[in-house]
Amino acid sequence: MINDQSPILISSYNLRKYFPIRGGLLSTRIGDVRAVDGVTLEVRESETLGLVGESGCGKTTVGRLLLRLIEPTSGHTYYHPSPDVLARLDSLYSTLQGSAVPEGNGGTAAAQAALKELDEIADQYSLYRLKRSKMKELRGKLQIVFQDPFSSLSPRMLVRDIIGEPLAIHHAGTRSQRYQRVAELVQEVGLNPEHLWRFPHEFSGGQRQRIGIARALALRPEFIVLDEPTSALDVSVQAQILNILKKLQSEQRLAYMFISHHLSVVRAMSHHVAVMYLGQIVERAATEDLFSRPLHPYTQALLSAIPVPDPTLKRERIVLKGDVPSPAAPPPGCRFHTRCPAVMPICSHAEPPLIEVRKAHWVACHLYPPSGSEPTSSPRLTPPIAGAGALDADAPRAA
Amino acid sequence: MAAVSRPVQEAPLPPATSPLASTPSDQTVAEPSAQSSAPSPVVLDVRDLKTYFFTYDGVVRALDGVSFKVRRGETLGLVGETGCGKSVTAFSVTRLIPDPPGRVIGGKVLFRGIDLLWGLDAEAKIKIDPKTGRAKVKRSFRRIKSGLERMSAVRGRGISMIFQEPTQAMNPVFSVSNQLSEALLLHHGTTIIDDLLTATPLAPEVRPALEALVEATRGGGGPDAARAASKKVGEAAHLRTFGTQSFYLVRDSDLSSEDLLRRLQKGLRRLHLSAFEKAYVRHRRRQMLVEDQLHELYLSEMREGRVDRRQRGLLRARRIRLKASGFFYGIWGIRGRIQRPLRDETFWRSVQLLEEVSIANPVQVARGYPHELSGGMLQRVMITMALSVDPTILIADEPTTALDVTIQAQILELMRGLKTRIGTAILLITHDLAVIAEVADRVCVMYAGQIVETARAVDLYQHPLHPYTQGLLASIPNLERPDKRLTSIPGSVPDLIHPPPGCRFHPRCPYAMPVCKEVRPPTTVEGSEHTVACHLYKGAVSVE
Repeated sequence: MINDQSPILISSYNLRKYFPIRGGLLSTRIGDVRAVDGVTLEVRESETLGLVGESGCGKTTVGRLLLRLIEPTSGHTYYHPSPDVLARLDSLYSTLQGSAVPEGNGGTAAAQAALKELDEIADQYSLYRLKRSKMKELRGKLQIVFQDPFSSLSPRMLVRDIIGEPLAIHHAGTRSQRYQRVAELVQEVGLNPEHLWRFPHEFSGGQRQRIGIARALALRPEFIVLDEPTSALDVSVQAQILNILKKLQSEQRLAYMFISHHLSVVRAMSHHVAVMYLGQIVERAATEDLFSRPLHPYTQALLSAIPVPDPTLKRERIVLKGDVPSPAAPPPGCRFHTRCPAVMPICSHAEPPLIEVRKAHWVACHLYPPSGSEPTSSPRLTPPIAGAGALDADAPRAA
Repeated sequence: MAAVSRPVQEAPLPPATSPLASTPSDQTVAEPSAQSSAPSPVVLDVRDLKTYFFTYDGVVRALDGVSFKVRRGETLGLVGETGCGKSVTAFSVTRLIPDPPGRVIGGKVLFRGIDLLWGLDAEAKIKIDPKTGRAKVKRSFRRIKSGLERMSAVRGRGISMIFQEPTQAMNPVFSVSNQLSEALLLHHGTTIIDDLLTATPLAPEVRPALEALVEATRGGGGPDAARAASKKVGEAAHLRTFGTQSFYLVRDSDLSSEDLLRRLQKGLRRLHLSAFEKAYVRHRRRQMLVEDQLHELYLSEMREGRVDRRQRGLLRARRIRLKASGFFYGIWGIRGRIQRPLRDETFWRSVQLLEEVSIANPVQVARGYPHELSGGMLQRVMITMALSVDPTILIADEPTTALDVTIQAQILELMRGLKTRIGTAILLITHDLAVIAEVADRVCVMYAGQIVETARAVDLYQHPLHPYTQGLLASIPNLERPDKRLTSIPGSVPDLIHPPPGCRFHPRCPYAMPVCKEVRPPTTVEGSEHTVACHLYKGAVSVE
C-alpha cells in the first residue's frame, strides 16, 4: 500500500460502525445498522480523497469516524503514521488476511500473535485510544465542513464569533490577534471584513458555506473532511466554492476528504477516489484510472448513470434494477449481488475481498480473481476485537 | 329509491374520452408565427405571465413577463437557479400559487385555447403604493372559491403534476392503492363502473381459463405463459383486472391446485354484483356524470370567457339532489359492504398501473403506505398517479432532485419511455442542466423571474447565446474534461423585491454595457427557434 507519492497523512484499517437498533420490551438491542463495515483507506498529504456513493451508504459516517466525532465499533485510524509503523501494520494485516482466522476465537498461533501486536500498536498510536487532552490538541488539525450551510452555523452568533470560536477554544493568541486572524480568514474565502458583523441569516447559501470553510481553516488544519459541501448550492455558486477549495489546497497544502454523491464534482476535485456501497469500499483508485477504466460493476453503473450536459452525446447506459438494500440487513456475500448485472453464483455467499487488481487500483469483486493462490473460503480482514464476529453470524438470517 | 333513478337519465352521455380531448383542436394553431417548422400544435401557450408575492418586506416580482409554448408530445425543459421562478411558473400555470401572499397579476395562460387565468382579476383588487412599494390586496373569497372549482376541470386530465419531494407529496395516512384509486375514480370513474357492470364473472368459460392459468403457472411455463393465461382469464370474465388478480394469487400462493381453483372461484363470486351493489355503483356513476358535465361547463366558460349561470345552477342543483338521495349508501356499516366491488376494482387497476412503471412487486407496493417505500419507488408511484389520467401536459417539478444517480437514471428512462408511448407533452423543471440535456427537446433558461433564452436543446448546448447560459454551462464540472478550471458566475441571484433595473443579469454579466443598466432587453430571434433576451444581439424582435 506504500507508493512513491506524497507521505500518508491518515491511514485507517477495518473501520466498522454499527448503530444499534433498539426495540422490544426493555428497548434491548435487536439488530444493527451496519453503517460502515470494514473500511480501509488512506489519505495522503495535500491530496484529496473523494468518497462517492449513494445516500445511506455510510460516506458521512466514515468522515466522522476519521475525525473521531463518533467512536468506531472496531478498527483503527492512524494520524501521521511513521513509515515503519505503517509497514508493520500492513504486514500484520496481510498475515491476518492470509490465514483467514475464524472470527473472534482461536486461529493459528501466528494470527493470534498478530492480533496481539496490532492491539499494542493501536494502544500507542491509534486515534481512538488517544487521551482527551491529546485529542483536543489534534482537533485543530482535523476539521470538517458540513453539508447544510443553513443548519451548521449558529443563528445567534455573529460571523466574527462563529469563525473565531475555534481560536478561542484553543486559546490561540490574544483577543486582537484572534480578530486579525478572523479578518484574514474571511478574505481568504472571498468575503468582506464588513461581513463579520452580520448574522448567518443575512447570507445566501454560497456565502454561508464560505463562512463554514473559514471556520474550518481557523486553526490551520492539515486535514478537512468536506461532507457534501456543495450539494445544497446552485451550479454557478458550486463552481465558486470548488474553486476556493482548490485554491486553499494548493496554498496551504491541505488534505481533503471530499464526500459527495455527485461524481462529476468528485472527478474535478480529487486525486484518489473510493466508491462505497452499503458500508463497504468496492473500488479505490487514482481518479483518472477510476473514471477511465472502472472495474467494479457498481462503479460502471454509477458512472453510466450520470447525465451529461450534452444532448448530442448518447451513451450506452447501464440502468440498475431495484433499490439499495437496507444496511440493517445487508445481503450475504457480495452486497451488490442483488442489483449486479454480472452476478455469478459465488457472489451470493462469498464476500469478495478488496484486492489490488492493477497498480494502486483496488477492487472488491469476484470478477477479478487475485493473481496469486488464494484460499477458497472467503478471505477477509478480521476485526481486531472479538464480538464483532458474533454479529457477522447473524447476517444470513437477517437477510 | 325512486328519487335515485329519476333525474339524470335525460342528460346526454359524454364521450368516453375526457371532455378536454373532445375540444376542437387548438385555437392557437391559427396563429401564423413560428408554426411553419413544427407541425405539432401548441397545447400550452404562456404569454407575459406575471406573478407577484405581496410580503411585508415589499412586492416580490417572482415572475416578470414569462412567455413560452409547449407543443403536443414535446418535452420543454425549464432550467434556472434556486429562486429564479421555475416552480412559481409551474404553480402559476396550474393556479396553485398560495394566495395570500402570491397572485398572478398579469399575462395569459392558454391551454388548448382555454384561458386558464380567466376570472382571476375579478378575484382580487390590488393597489401598489408608488412611494413605499407596499401593496394593498382585497380578495373576494367567493370568486376565489369558484375559480378553484373551475380549475379542477383542468387539473388531472388536462394538466397533471409531479412534485419535487415524493415523500411529502403523498398522504401518509392512506395506502398507495387508496391514493391511486382516488385519482382513478375521479377521472375514469364512469369507465370503471361500466366495466364492473358488464363483467361476467359467472360465465361458464371462465373456469377452463382459470384451470389453464393454474396449469401454465404450476407447469413451469415461465412468467410469459402465466401472463398470457391470466390475460385469457380476464377476457373470459370480461374484466381485465380479474386476470391480474388471479395472476398474482396463483403466483404467490402455495396452495394445492384444487384449493387454488376454489379460491379463484370464490373471488369470482365476489365479483358478481348483488342488486344492492349494482344500485350503488349506478348511483355513483350518475354523480360522476354530473361532475363531468360541470367540468365541461367550466371549460367552456373559460374558453368563451363568460358564465352560463342557468346551466351552472341546474347542474349544481342536480349534484346536491344526488348527494341527498344517496344518503342511504353513506350509512356506516352499509357503506363498507356496498363499496367493496368498486374498491377491489380500483385496487387491482392501481396494481396494473404500478406494473407499467416496472415495479417488481406491485401488490405489496399498492397495499403499502408511503413511509414504507423508498424515494425512487414513491417517485414512480407519483408518476403513475400523474399519468393514470392520461394528461395532455405533465408538469414535472424537479422530479429527480431528491433521488440518487442510479435511481435518477431509472426515473429518466421511465419518463422517456412514457413520453414515446403516451405522447404526453412534458414541462420539465429542474436546476440540473445535465438532466435537461438527457430528456428535453427544447429548453428555456430562466433568470430572476424572466426567460433569457429559448432554444432547441442541441442548439442551446452547442451555441449558447446569453452570457448567463454560457456561464451556467461553463460552471458544470465536466466528466470528460475534469482538469479544466471551473468558471463561475460571480455574485449571486438578485433580490427580487428590488431587482436590478434594466437587464436583471447585468450586475453579474461579464459583457455588461451602459444600456444594460437602463433598458430591459427585448426578446429577439437569433436563428430558428432560438430566442434570446440580451442587448448583445440585434435580431428581429420576437412576436410572442
